[in-house]
Amino acid sequence: MRPEQIVEAILFASDAPLRAEEIARADEALDEDQVEVAIQQLRQLYLESERAFDLVEVAGGHQLLTRPEFAGYLERFDTIPRPSRLSGPALETLAIIAYRQPIGRLEVEYVRGVGASGVIRTLQERGLVDVVGRGEGIGRPLLYGTTQRFLEHFGFESMESLPRPDELPVVLRDRSMTILPDESPEDPDQEELPLDDPTGEHR
Amino acid sequence: MATNSASTFAPADDGVYVIEIERFHGPLDLLLHLIRQQDIDVFDIPIARITRQFLEAIQGIGPGDLDQAGEFLEMAATLIRIKAQLLLPRPESDDDEDPRAELVRRLLEYEQIREISQRLERAEADRARRRVRGYVPPRPRAVVEETPLETTWDEVYEAALGVSLPESRVSEHRVTPRTVSMDSRVALILDRLGRGAGLPFTSFLGAGENRMHGVMTLLAGLELTRRRAIFLRQTAPFHELWLYRREDDDPEVLAEEEPA
Repeated sequence: MRPEQIVEAILFASDAPLRAEEIARADEALDEDQVEVAIQQLRQLYLESERAFDLVEVAGGHQLLTRPEFAGYLERFDTIPRPSRLSGPALETLAIIAYRQPIGRLEVEYVRGVGASGVIRTLQERGLVDVVGRGEGIGRPLLYGTTQRFLEHFGFESMESLPRPDELPVVLRDRSMTILPDESPEDPDQEELPLDDPTGEHR
Repeated sequence: MATNSASTFAPADDGVYVIEIERFHGPLDLLLHLIRQQDIDVFDIPIARITRQFLEAIQGIGPGDLDQAGEFLEMAATLIRIKAQLLLPRPESDDDEDPRAELVRRLLEYEQIREISQRLERAEADRARRRVRGYVPPRPRAVVEETPLETTWDEVYEAALGVSLPESRVSEHRVTPRTVSMDSRVALILDRLGRGAGLPFTSFLGAGENRMHGVMTLLAGLELTRRRAIFLRQTAPFHELWLYRREDDDPEVLAEEEPA
């Protein structure tokens, strides 16, 4: 059996992304480089033969996924798992945890201005966040962080795939920056605000 | 995600703004909406005006949701405190921060979180268009036929009262000393079991003895089985468990020792 066949069989049968070194453990004669080569060959093969699926890099691993253009055909089948979608509050909470991890519940609540225990529990049950440690202070609060499952859920290759805070178009900031110099050029409070450090401490 | 569309915030006939409070994810969401909608400079928020609009908006919160009301009221209190601080004469030191600064920081930060969560939502939608090879975890099929509910509301209520709440994930594990020792139960079993005779498991449990006695008796039975002093019999699942004194010349017992 050729390496690319072995790799293909493993990726076909796995329901989570696998890293090259994990796949290489399938056989003693197989090493990580061979797996990487095999993955490239398979990707090329699927492309040339116009398969309805391809090999995608997700959460640091490789996964066989159908191509997005076939989504419409798959939706009406009960036998095809339907991906779950998160609510607005769940997404906001997840955004805070993703960018501030490790972070405690009280901090999450301060940023959103609302209670977060229910949402965090739901996210934890769905494996998107987990307890990653305990903070200092009264009661040594639980600290949360995102999981591998988080990357898989959003199809991110790694945490670096998340949008960088400085590339976000923030309306309030943009508008204020253009208005401020004309209206109140000498406003001393302007410098007090953490304009360039939106990810820094908020206290 | 777009909870605050233009229709939720429109001047009514009498010029009063009408806001559907349920549409907002929280007080910061509402505040952000008020500021954006009126093109307010976030670094020079007219606190009195915003506070009034904010208080008007939260009039609609019903008494049914105290948690939500609390969150909005906390923000209202913050706004009023900021206004009070602005009215007080401020010392002429340069490093004194504008009372509004912390609020502005939170608003900017919250807006950024909103933006990120919208990006996440788009990424989620894109990812949802790709599917893994169809593995669906087997779902338990409901085989129970529909039966009419032959019970009274009082019985349902009583049953509901008896349901204990699920324990929290971070539960404390209490270590308590065993009130019954296994050795005492081992002695009891050996004492009561005559040669060759069998006794039902329940006969070892006296009146007034609790679950711990049952557990320790079962453990003692298993331990004695391991020591090959007794053997256990049960004709069917959930039936009575019988304990027998083991005799080495018992042909049946010897036969069981043969590897299959």
